[in-house]
Amino acid sequence: MIKRGRGMACMWYPIGFTVAANPSAATVKVNTDGTATVLTGTVETGQGALTVLGQVAAEALGVATDDVHVVSADTDTTPMDTGAIASRTTYVTGNAVMLAAEKAREILFQAAATLLEVPSDQLEARDRKIQVLGFPSRSVDIGTVAQHSETVLGAPSIGSASYNPPTVPLDPETGQGKPFNTYVYATQIAEVEVDDETGEVEVKRIVAVHDCGTPINPMLVEGQIEGGISMGVGFALKEEILFKDGAQINPNLTNYIMPTSLDMPEIDVELVDNYDPTGPFGAKGAGEPTAVPTAAAIMNAIHDAVGVRMTSLPATSERVLGAIQELRAAS
Amino acid sequence: MATRTKDVQTDTEDLVTARESRAPAKQPLTLPADEPVVYPLQLPQSKTRLQTPAVGQRATRPDGRLHGLGQTQYIDDLTFPHMIHAKVLRSEHAHARIISVDTSVAAAMPGVLATLIGKEIPRNSFGPTLQDQPVLADDVVRHRGDGVAAVAAITEQLAADALEKIKVVYEPLQPVFDPLEALEDDAPRIHGGDTNIYASKVIKKGDVEKAFAEADHIFERRFQTQMVEHVPLEPHASIASWDGNGRVSIWSSLGRITLGREDLARTLELPQSKIRLIGTIVGGNFGGKNEITTEPILAMLSRKTGRPVKSVYTRGDEFISSTIRHPFTMDYKTGVMNDGTIVARKIRIILDGGAYCSWTGTTIGKGSILAPGPYNIDNIHVEAYAVYTNKTTTGAMRGFGAPQVCFAYESQMDDIAHKLGMDPLEIRLKNAFSEGSSSPTSQTLQAVAIKESLNQAAQLFGWKEWQA
Repeated sequence: MIKRGRGMACMWYPIGFTVAANPSAATVKVNTDGTATVLTGTVETGQGALTVLGQVAAEALGVATDDVHVVSADTDTTPMDTGAIASRTTYVTGNAVMLAAEKAREILFQAAATLLEVPSDQLEARDRKIQVLGFPSRSVDIGTVAQHSETVLGAPSIGSASYNPPTVPLDPETGQGKPFNTYVYATQIAEVEVDDETGEVEVKRIVAVHDCGTPINPMLVEGQIEGGISMGVGFALKEEILFKDGAQINPNLTNYIMPTSLDMPEIDVELVDNYDPTGPFGAKGAGEPTAVPTAAAIMNAIHDAVGVRMTSLPATSERVLGAIQELRAAS
Repeated sequence: MATRTKDVQTDTEDLVTARESRAPAKQPLTLPADEPVVYPLQLPQSKTRLQTPAVGQRATRPDGRLHGLGQTQYIDDLTFPHMIHAKVLRSEHAHARIISVDTSVAAAMPGVLATLIGKEIPRNSFGPTLQDQPVLADDVVRHRGDGVAAVAAITEQLAADALEKIKVVYEPLQPVFDPLEALEDDAPRIHGGDTNIYASKVIKKGDVEKAFAEADHIFERRFQTQMVEHVPLEPHASIASWDGNGRVSIWSSLGRITLGREDLARTLELPQSKIRLIGTIVGGNFGGKNEITTEPILAMLSRKTGRPVKSVYTRGDEFISSTIRHPFTMDYKTGVMNDGTIVARKIRIILDGGAYCSWTGTTIGKGSILAPGPYNIDNIHVEAYAVYTNKTTTGAMRGFGAPQVCFAYESQMDDIAHKLGMDPLEIRLKNAFSEGSSSPTSQTLQAVAIKESLNQAAQLFGWKEWQA
């Protein structure tokens, strides 16, 4: 008989390395037409990090995403970066890019101050213009300012900066301290169907509500969440490296079973409205945490459906059926 | 400095000789008419990329179009003049002493340009915390994924064939596969010393024993998780090219090039200025591509042959020799009051630490700190130990221990709710962090959104209305 169940799991997850310094540096160069180039040492590993970093630079310079080109991952040309690890790119590299863009912008403000005849601290960069705070009609096109700064004043608009999340080492005896500068939070709820005659579990639906601070690009956050859930479903129900005498016996995709698109549940994603003042424009991160609560939510849904507590992952059909039979024998 | 085993000019000759020795001549392939691919002059413009302010826009990715058109160049797509291919021979044993490695027959095969063993690597050890892992094992193999020799040949198939001609003599050592057995006094010591424990962590807050004595209910359970692989679509891949100035350029699927260059400078004993490391577009990382793998091997083979050398892992290599997720054995004991308030949590975690340390330091740290869950608990005691076993190297994987401990703490939360007759949502809301809460390490938390996520998810799911 098919039994339905629901289960929830929430989690917290830190951004960046545990205590250890994990800095990122960045350089932002504004071209004489107001477009810009970002240099970063991080690597695009498929998550859309370079798009996000471009959006951060664009925001600080008051231009559009398409105006910024991001150059990455070459030790001969790009500044140091601790890398695409520990869900740190948006927060740590993003902060470095924001600070570098602000330095480049400050050079533009100096130039614009002479053109607009106001002090440079009375200016803002918006909608591809440098404009007087509170008087948006008094403005100059950002390209004109960049051109003036570089070719008339001789001050090219280039900024470099770095960021490292502040931490406090953990006491070796008690583990007390400040290992990370910030954390994200999330809840996922799973709905499953369990066949109590075969132990087969089908995940029908997952609702995922994640906090990532300000979503720099909500579409990419949603992509991360859907990808994380697919890893979570595999961890919960299917994936396991098996050994015989120390040798893996299923090191291939025929016998190591991962969820495919056909195994994926319906997924509903929402983001929590949140703002972290320590992140770039309020952002934290979204990489790893998306895969964290999925298995727990599915196990709780299995418990709700058929009353068995799975204490060992993955909850394969054999294991679930075994637990159901044990429960029946005991009752 | 660079010694070439064969002259570059004999490339075509080698290839012809090698092919003739393997198979009868075939008819030349007829290719279809070369139709140029035409792209529209007017690119589709995405509004989200043109609007200001930029932050918050659902901006499309500039790399997405290139992926769709097949124009993204992964390492498998890159080729260089005179480029050759490398393969690594893996251990036949989970734990053994290497008596000898004889590559002479392989080296003499037509099309094979160079071989490499561990003793030829200037500094044959690496690792982000402990440098306990050899690039190619030269003394002891500690799991079946350890490389023992490498071959560079003019085709990938020839390199694979040559591996079969390498003779390795092993003296098998007693292996240990179960982390709990590896903790026993008479277990073989995988890295010498007097214990297989190579990392530990303690988090202590309040007084758990006193709180357990005062608690209305005690919940105890053991939870266990398995080994899983990242399975990126693109396996580990790199190309190394050593130039006439003694400078080496490496294209790699590595996700952290700054620290990767440090690792390469150390293993190759080169100044960092002599190494250029280029991170190509990576086809999936998930934590698995945060370690150097074949890069130093390819650099040495390129130095020996004067040719660019490429390696792309097979799916088998990816499973066996790249890092995987740590299995956790977790004992949870939780003290709860009748109203659902959690007053104490004591957790003991044993990490199956595999053959080498890799990113275990980060995994045990994050796993321990996160293990009590996002809850206000005044009395906490977490202790965790990572133990060497003769299995695949456990390293960084999406969540660094968090999915493992979340499975345990959230399963137990439902056990508690069930026993006390509370709604799983209510018991979480009752105990969850709020702004300014104190974490298990007594950090004051800011920008906390756990209750918001719980309420919003319950709303979106229809938790209150739901019926089985």
